[in-house]
Parts: sequence; C-alpha cells; structure tokens
Amino acid sequence: MDAAATAQNGLEGTSRKRGNDLVRRFFRHPTGVLGLAIVAFLVLVSLLAPVLKPYDARRDRDLRARLSPPSAERWFGADELGRDNFTRVLHGGRISLRAGLIAVAFAVVIGTLLGLIAGYVGGWLDTVIVWLVDILLAFPGILLAIAIVATLGPNLTNALIAIAITQVPIYTRIVRSVVMQVRQSEYVQAVRALGSGSIRVVLKHVLPNSLAPLIVQLTLSIGTAILDVAALGFLGLGAQPPAPEWGLMIRDGFSQFLRAPWMSIFPGIAIFLAVVGFNLLGDAIRDILDPRLRNL
Amino acid sequence: MKKLALLLALLLTLGLTSAQTLVFGSSGFPASLDGVDSQDGNSLVVSGQITERLVDFAPGKTDLIPGLATSWSANDDATVWTFELRQGVKFHDGTPFNAEAAKFNLDRWNDPNHPYSGRAEGKTFVPWGWVFGGPIGDGNLIESVAITGEYEIQLTLTQPAPFLPALFAAVYFQFNSPTAVMAAGVNYGTPNVGSVGTGPFKFVEWIEGERIVLERNDDYWGGPAGVERIVFRGIEQPTARLAELQAGTIDIAVNLTSDDLATVQNDANLKTAIADTELNVGYISMHQANAPFDNVLVRRAVAYAIDRDAIVSAFYEGLGVVAQDHLPPVLFGHGEDWPYEYNPEKAKELLAEAGFPNGFTTQYWYMPVSRPYFPAPQPIAETIASYLADVGITAELMTEDWATYLADYPTGKFPMYMIGWNADYADPDNFLRTFFGPSSITDQGWDSPETRALIQEASQISDQDRRAALYAQVVNTVADQAISIPMAHNRSLNATRVGIDGWVASPLGFSSVSLHSVTKAQ
Amino acid sequence: MTAYIVRRLLGLVPVLIGVTLLIFFLTRIIPGDPAIAMLGERAAPNLVERLRADLGLDRPLFFNTAEYRETGRFGDLFDSQYFDYMGGMLRGDLGRSILTLVPITQSLLHRFPATLELTLAAMLLAVAIGIPAGMWAALRRGTLADTSVMLVAIAGVSFPVFWLGIILIYVFAVVLGWLPPSGRLSVSTSIQPITGMYVLDGLLAGNFKGALNAARHLVLPALALGTIPLAIVVRMTRSAMLEVLGQDYVRTARAKGLSELKVVRKHSLRNALLPVVTVIGLSFGSLLSGAILTETVFSWPGIGRWVYDGIAARDYPIIQGGVIFVATLFVFVNLLVDLSYTLIDPRIQYA
Repeated sequence: MDAAATAQNGLEGTSRKRGNDLVRRFFRHPTGVLGLAIVAFLVLVSLLAPVLKPYDARRDRDLRARLSPPSAERWFGADELGRDNFTRVLHGGRISLRAGLIAVAFAVVIGTLLGLIAGYVGGWLDTVIVWLVDILLAFPGILLAIAIVATLGPNLTNALIAIAITQVPIYTRIVRSVVMQVRQSEYVQAVRALGSGSIRVVLKHVLPNSLAPLIVQLTLSIGTAILDVAALGFLGLGAQPPAPEWGLMIRDGFSQFLRAPWMSIFPGIAIFLAVVGFNLLGDAIRDILDPRLRNL
Repeated sequence: MKKLALLLALLLTLGLTSAQTLVFGSSGFPASLDGVDSQDGNSLVVSGQITERLVDFAPGKTDLIPGLATSWSANDDATVWTFELRQGVKFHDGTPFNAEAAKFNLDRWNDPNHPYSGRAEGKTFVPWGWVFGGPIGDGNLIESVAITGEYEIQLTLTQPAPFLPALFAAVYFQFNSPTAVMAAGVNYGTPNVGSVGTGPFKFVEWIEGERIVLERNDDYWGGPAGVERIVFRGIEQPTARLAELQAGTIDIAVNLTSDDLATVQNDANLKTAIADTELNVGYISMHQANAPFDNVLVRRAVAYAIDRDAIVSAFYEGLGVVAQDHLPPVLFGHGEDWPYEYNPEKAKELLAEAGFPNGFTTQYWYMPVSRPYFPAPQPIAETIASYLADVGITAELMTEDWATYLADYPTGKFPMYMIGWNADYADPDNFLRTFFGPSSITDQGWDSPETRALIQEASQISDQDRRAALYAQVVNTVADQAISIPMAHNRSLNATRVGIDGWVASPLGFSSVSLHSVTKAQ
Repeated sequence: MTAYIVRRLLGLVPVLIGVTLLIFFLTRIIPGDPAIAMLGERAAPNLVERLRADLGLDRPLFFNTAEYRETGRFGDLFDSQYFDYMGGMLRGDLGRSILTLVPITQSLLHRFPATLELTLAAMLLAVAIGIPAGMWAALRRGTLADTSVMLVAIAGVSFPVFWLGIILIYVFAVVLGWLPPSGRLSVSTSIQPITGMYVLDGLLAGNFKGALNAARHLVLPALALGTIPLAIVVRMTRSAMLEVLGQDYVRTARAKGLSELKVVRKHSLRNALLPVVTVIGLSFGSLLSGAILTETVFSWPGIGRWVYDGIAARDYPIIQGGVIFVATLFVFVNLLVDLSYTLIDPRIQYA
C-alpha cells in the first residue's frame, strides 16, 4: 500500500478547513461515534472512580460477605474475600486503559525509532533490524508475550513490556516503508542535494508522513493491547493481586464459576466494552483518514 | 427366541461398556508411570493401581499393613532389616515376584551405576533422594541389598532407622517387573509402554493429554477388583472437575475447592469422600536473612496480627483445623498450643517496641498452585496482606511459577512466604526433619544446631515417649521464637457419584488409595 | 515463479535460525530450572546438583570454550546444549521431555492434530457465519442491517476468548447441560486415530457415533475461538462483494433483469471469494494465539496448552520444540498466503 502518498494527501496539505472536514465526517460515521462514546464513557468513569468510590485494594476484606451474589447493596456481587465487585470493576478500568495506552505508546516510540533507523541508515543496520522484526513476527503474538513474561517475571510492568515487544515490529514496518518511499521521492532527493542535513529531513518529512498510518494502527492496537493485558492477567502473568485488574478478576472467578459466576461475568463485560470501543473508533478513523482502505 | 438372545447380548455389551468402567478425575495427567521416577499425585494414583509397594497403609488410615512384603524385622540397633516377601505373586507379564525381582528394583533406585537405572538417559528417581537420602555415594541410607532366600531380602543401612518400614510405605516405592524394565529401558513408564506390576489393574493404553485406561487383573493375589476398567482423566480446574462430576462424565473427582463443599452436599447425585484427618501442614515463613525479620519482636508482631481462626473458617469450610504447631494432630510429639492469639493492638505495640511504630514495607510471596494444605493460596495471601496492612505492614503480594518458587524460597529471596508439606509417611520425623533437620533446606534462614541435633537424636531412637519429648522441645522453640507461623492442617475435598462405593479417602492424599475395592452400581 | 519460491524459502532460513536462538536464549535465562521443579518442596542442594548433572543442564549453552581450550580441537567448541539441539533437530530429533521422557516429536504429532482440528473448526464456523453475513451486509449496503452486521463482527473480535469460553461452559454445559464442558471425547467412546482429528477420523472409519461425540466436544471451544476470524471474514466478504457488485458486468447483468440473488450466485460470489480465502490464511496466527487461551479453558490437549504447561514446569525441550514448531508453521503459512496472493492477483509482481 502506498502509505506515504496517502498520508501526503491526508496531512501534508492540512488546513483548518480540511481538519474541520475530517471531524465532520467522523461525526457522520455512526459506529465511530458509538466507539468514541464508549471510550469517552470508560475514560471518564475511570478518571472519576476515586471520587465516586474511594478504594484501597490493600486493605479491602470482608470475610463474612464472601461470594455474596449481586444485590441492591452489591450490584456486581462480592468475591472470595468479600470485596465489592462493582467497586473493583470500576477501578479496574484505571489499570486496563492505562496499561493498553502505555504498552502501545512504548511500541510506537521504539517501533518508530527502529523503523527510522532501518529506513534511513540502511546497510547492515537495516538488514539486522529487518531480521529481528521478521523473527518477532514469526511468533503468534501471545506466545511470545508468554515466553518473555516467563523470563522477566510476572507483573504488570513486564506484561506491558512483553506486549509492547510483540507490537514493535508492526510500527517498525510501517515507518520503514514510509521512510523508504519518502527517501526516493524527488522532493526529498532535491532537498538533500541542496545540502539539508539528513536528520532535519527525517524530522521534517518522514514523521508527518507516517502520521496517518500510525494513528490508524495505534487506535486498533490499543484494543489488542487491552485484550493481551487481560489475557496475561488471566494466565497469572500480568497484574498481581490484590490489584483489581479485569483479566486477573476473571482468573479468580474461573476457579469459582459454579458458585459465583458474577465474579467473572462483570469484568469480562468491562473488557469487551473497552476493546469494542477502541475497535469501533479505530475503524472509523481508518475509514476517514485512509479512504482507500475503507472497504477492508 | 432370536430376539431375546439379541436383547440379552445387547444388555451384556451395554453393561460391559458403561457400568463397569470407573472414570477417575484428577487435576492432571501423569508425568510417568515408573513410580519412583515421578513424584506427583496424578502420576502415583495411576501407577499405584498397577504396581505395588512392600508395605502398605490400611485403607483410610496410616497404620502399616503388609503389601508385597508379608513381615519385616530388624536387628537391635535397627541397622539391618529383613523383609519376608509374599509368595506366589506374578507380575502382569508373567515374571515371578521374588527376592531377585525385589533386589533388582531396590538396586535400580539405589545404585547410580546399575545397568538399568536409566539415570544417564534422564531417569531421576527424585523421591528416592527425598526419603532415603540419595543413591549410593550421595547421602544414602541403604548401603546394600542381599538375597537371603527365594522370598527374603536383607537391607543393610548406613545408620539406624527404627521406622524403615514406614519409609517403604511411602507411595512412590512401587515395584516394577524387571523383565519389562529391561525391555523398555528409558521408555519404561512413558505413554508408549506404561508400566508392568503385580497390582489389581493392568495397563492398557495412555492417550496423551486425554485418558489412561487400565483393565482388571483377574489373577490378582488379593482377588479380582470391583470394576473391570478404570479410565483416568486430567482436568486442571477444580471447578471444571466438579462440573464434569455433576454432568456424570466422571465418577470420582479429587481435590476439589473447599468452597464447593456445600455444592457437593446439596447435589443428590454426589457424595463426599473426606479423610478423617490429613497429614499435612501449611505455614507462613519469615526468612531471617531479610530485615526486620531477624528481630524476634517483629516476627511475634506478625504472628499476633493475623487472624488464623477467621482465615481457616473462611477458606477451609470446616475441612481444616487451625494448626497449633507444625505437626498434624494425629502424630505424636506435640508441644504447647500456639501462643499468639489474634491481637492487632499487641502487634502494633511489639512493632513499636522493635522500632517500627509506623510499620514497614515488605514482600509476601504466595504459591501459584493450590496444595491440600493451602487450598486457595491467592485469596488467603490477599487476606493475610490485608491483616498486615491493618497493623501498618505493607506487604506487596508476589508470586512466580511453581518451579521458580520452589527454587527461590530456601534462598532468602522471599522475606515472607507461604509453603507447606504433605507427608510421605506418618511420622513426626517426616515433618520436622524437612523443616528444621540436619540436612534441611533452612528455608527460614534460621540455623539452630541444638534443634538439628534434637531431630537427629530422635530419629535413631525406637522408644516413642522419648522421641515425643524431643520433638515437643523442637516445636516449643519454634513457637517461642516465632520462626514460622503454622496455619492449618487441611482435609482435601473429594467427591464421588452416588453408586460408587468402597473409595476411602486417605490421610496421605488421594494417590495412596487403592481402587481395588471400589465398586460401581449399575 | 519457481525461482521466486526458492528465493522466498531461502529467505526463511535466517529467520528460523533467529527463532531457535531467541527461544534458546529465553528458555535458558528463565529463572529457576527443571531440576528444582522436579525436586519440589524439598530441594536439598546436593540433590539439585546431581539432578542438574543427570539432565545435562550444567553443560555450556552455546560455545564450549573450556573443552576447546583443553583439547584444541575446533569441533569441541560446539559441544554445547545449543549445537547438540540443532544437530538433533536436523535429524528430526527434538529430544525428550525432561519430566515425562516422552520424545518431543511424538507429542507434537499427537497434539498438533488436536490444535489443527480446533483451529479448522473455528475457521469453519467463522466462514459459515461470516460469508453469508458479509454478503448480506454488502447487498444491504448503508442500511441499518449493514451497520448491525459490521457492529456484531467487530463485537465478536472484541471478546476475550478465555472469558467467552468460561461463559459458554457455564451456559451450555453447566446450566443447560447440552454439551460437554471439556475434553475431546467421552470416555465411553473411542476413535481409531487416522489423522488425529477425531471428527474426521470418525467419519472416515464410518464410526458416526464417535464422530458425533467428538463434534459435540468441539462445538464450544470452536465457537469461542471462531469469534477471532469471524470479524475479518465478514469484513473481507463485504468489501470484496461491494467491489464486484460495482463492476460493469454485474451492473449489466442486473440491468438485464436478473434477480439480485441470481446475480450474486452467477457472477459475484466466485470472484469475491478469492480474497476471502486468502485472508483466512492470514488470520491463522491470531487463531494459534487464541488457541493457547481456548485450550487452557477447555482442557483441550493441543500444542498451546502443552507449551504453556511446559513453561510452568521449565521443561525446556517442550518449550523449544513446541514454540519452534509453531513459529515454523506460522512462517510457512504466511509464505503460502503470500504466494497465493501472487497467483490470484497477477498484478502483484514477484519482485
């Protein structure tokens, strides 16, 4: 796909009018608006959680209320320690959303840097980076993440690192291809001939041109990252108790699903909402920024 | 008439395929059917139906009864033991069981240079090291095995062992057919070969990850078993196991979550199978290499801070008892009751006295797998951390996979952690030697030569009262110094379908139970 | 074309070597070792040492410099765990599991069909639901129906599969009792393995009762896993259909008065399906990822679960063999997908 050219159409000539046009088109995209609404709602609720229901997971315990079912008092029931499931799902959003964003941010920064280096410096460095990217892409995502976390030790930070590593190659590929195309464009070759320093050229032309494909990929990656954080949590390789992380809560609920299905049902719905929100949003952004991919 | 015959034939086949097959659900598949080369209950419960031990436990008890040995005796200082073997017993492949076969097995485990030890190809015989110190040249208890008659062997030991027969009753030491071992080599015990023993059931097939099938040995010396076939299935999650039991796709489910006791009791199709008592202990340790746990005041404060009664009543559902020391109630050698009643105020006072009026921050490591002594390690750990938080101690909860956990806990990497012990044999030595004995792993960072000497002395005495006094001294010191906090002795929750009879839960865990006498109603 | 294929195949060699190096590196720096995992609660130091030696874990990882210095023979430099392993692999010997002593290749051969069966069933479900749904959405383009289909497709890919698995077990196995909660086959049923995929084996052998039994076990895990490719199949079908429907000959056919359904059947479907088929191959990797989680929830004896358990037990040969196998498979499937693209669409040059 000629990403650079698309990006050039999309962004290089950005004017306020064009920006307004993009926003207007977004708001005419029904599923995109739905996605935005879901994401906005979850972000808002997560931000407000400490105000709505102050919570200290460290000291939370009510052994007499163990495994009580949903009721007017406890909307989502209680877990094995008698902790209120609603409060925990609410605070779980703070962990999962933040984790998804951080993992993707890591991947974007490192992936972009590697892509820039590979594409711009070229030579053996390019060969090595492409080789590493190909190796990483040879693993089905979660398998590599499991192996990395098993090596580093299970906790939320290491899970984030592992997920970021699995996503790095995607960004390296995108950026590298943009760099290659920009480098070959007559315009940049002319600029270089005029003696403009190479780093300036990179910063000035490559980064803006990579923006559109990066933003599209980024939004979709957040959903994947949230799912992966939850999956590692479910396998016991992510966030550690007593953190109210959604995947971990489903793990706890799995060992009680005959007696207390509410323990796993609600955090699962929360994950679903978050992921579907970002996916709808990412889809809409793709439709709008990258019209050629609209049907894909 | 023809129709009737057909109907009869149909009924017969139906009876054969369904009612006579017992389906046993445990938490996983065996590692190996070569008894001494495996150490987990899921392996040993299967191999234990095929191969047998010299000494056995009475059903549901810890009393020793004859197995492949009919009687045994020792010299005065218990360094030479003679075992009389059962006569007229044959392995499933026709090889006779006699002194020669017994010696073959013992030498295979004990002599690292034995031609069929298979150690070079990966056989490890780990439990042999646990119970008998190790193979020759590596802390071995057994020096040599001599054939003193067609059905008599004599063992010479490196040091006195008054309770040697109890060691042979440990579930691992199952005798295999020498012919089969020699023929299969390193493949012995794997799915391709299975194992060949003298037991009530014969190996049929093992489909990896799916099932293992055994069939009745009609020539069994103790009479034919109650069911024709046994199918073993591994279902990891206790809840999934219960779901299968409720659905009727398995007949026996072992090691269920204590929380499911009510579910089992309220289901008219199910009944519980719980041992009268169980030989295990779960405890919380503080490793003294980590400050401030080198301070006895801090350790006592921790002991006062945790409400053991509340934890046991919440997570053990009446199946476990609060521990008074590290020895299960049925064993001898107890000391005084545990001196630290739940008292957070007292804990705060002690912390202040120790110089931590505002508490401190530490790590609490919990086990990633449930064991009978800690049926729900993670929620229990979360509860304990919340009690510690109440008195100002911030305990970060940590875990790692079981393999790494086992590697790390003796090293002092964990300031606080939970661990426990399931008995191999019913003797206080099996517990106290493991925790505080001469070759123990000093997993508390506490090295007390006096305690070690006491345990060593007690192990070489035959008089039980004298031994009990020595052990009481050990446990009292441990309590006074708050070396580690015993939490509970637990009984595992097992359940069967109604119509399954003769399955008696054992205090030593489900793998020690013979399925010989189990019957299944039509 | 042949030259192109050969070039692509040669290009895989460094990647696969990289995969083995990475896995070897990861498994050896994982803290803890199998010796201790096996010794359990009572890992006395002397026992650990002996066991490590018995298992060959005390040998050098990559280069045996000590032995080389001693003997001066260049070949001894490679007397290490890695080169032994690679040598074995070239001979088709991946070693034995440390814990069970079962040859790795044997386990792979036994477990791969289970994973393959689950993956194929998931794909089949996705195709069976996804293609009609995508076509329907395309024909109703821009309507509420179209939006709803796309919404459901995106929703499908947004479920955590492990959670969906638990919910399916709870509803269909526990509450309703319609389907078995886990496993591949009831114990009263047996199937003679031919391909190792039980539904197929049952049908091949005429053992319809067995096939049905196996199929009943397959439904829930396949449903959980099938949500992953469902979205992409729906999306791809819809867009391919739209493209074909917009083309001149279809418009002509429509103008000639052919009914909508007939147009679809006669002209659009076949052309639209080609890219769909290709895209199915592309979602293979995400399916394998999902299989690890699905197999965990359903006690499905496949490769994913086996590798996951191998990691927990520090069983290096299982981790190495399993992961290298999966990665190799994945790389080859991706290559096949690439090649089929070039076959289907001649505009793509094999540069």
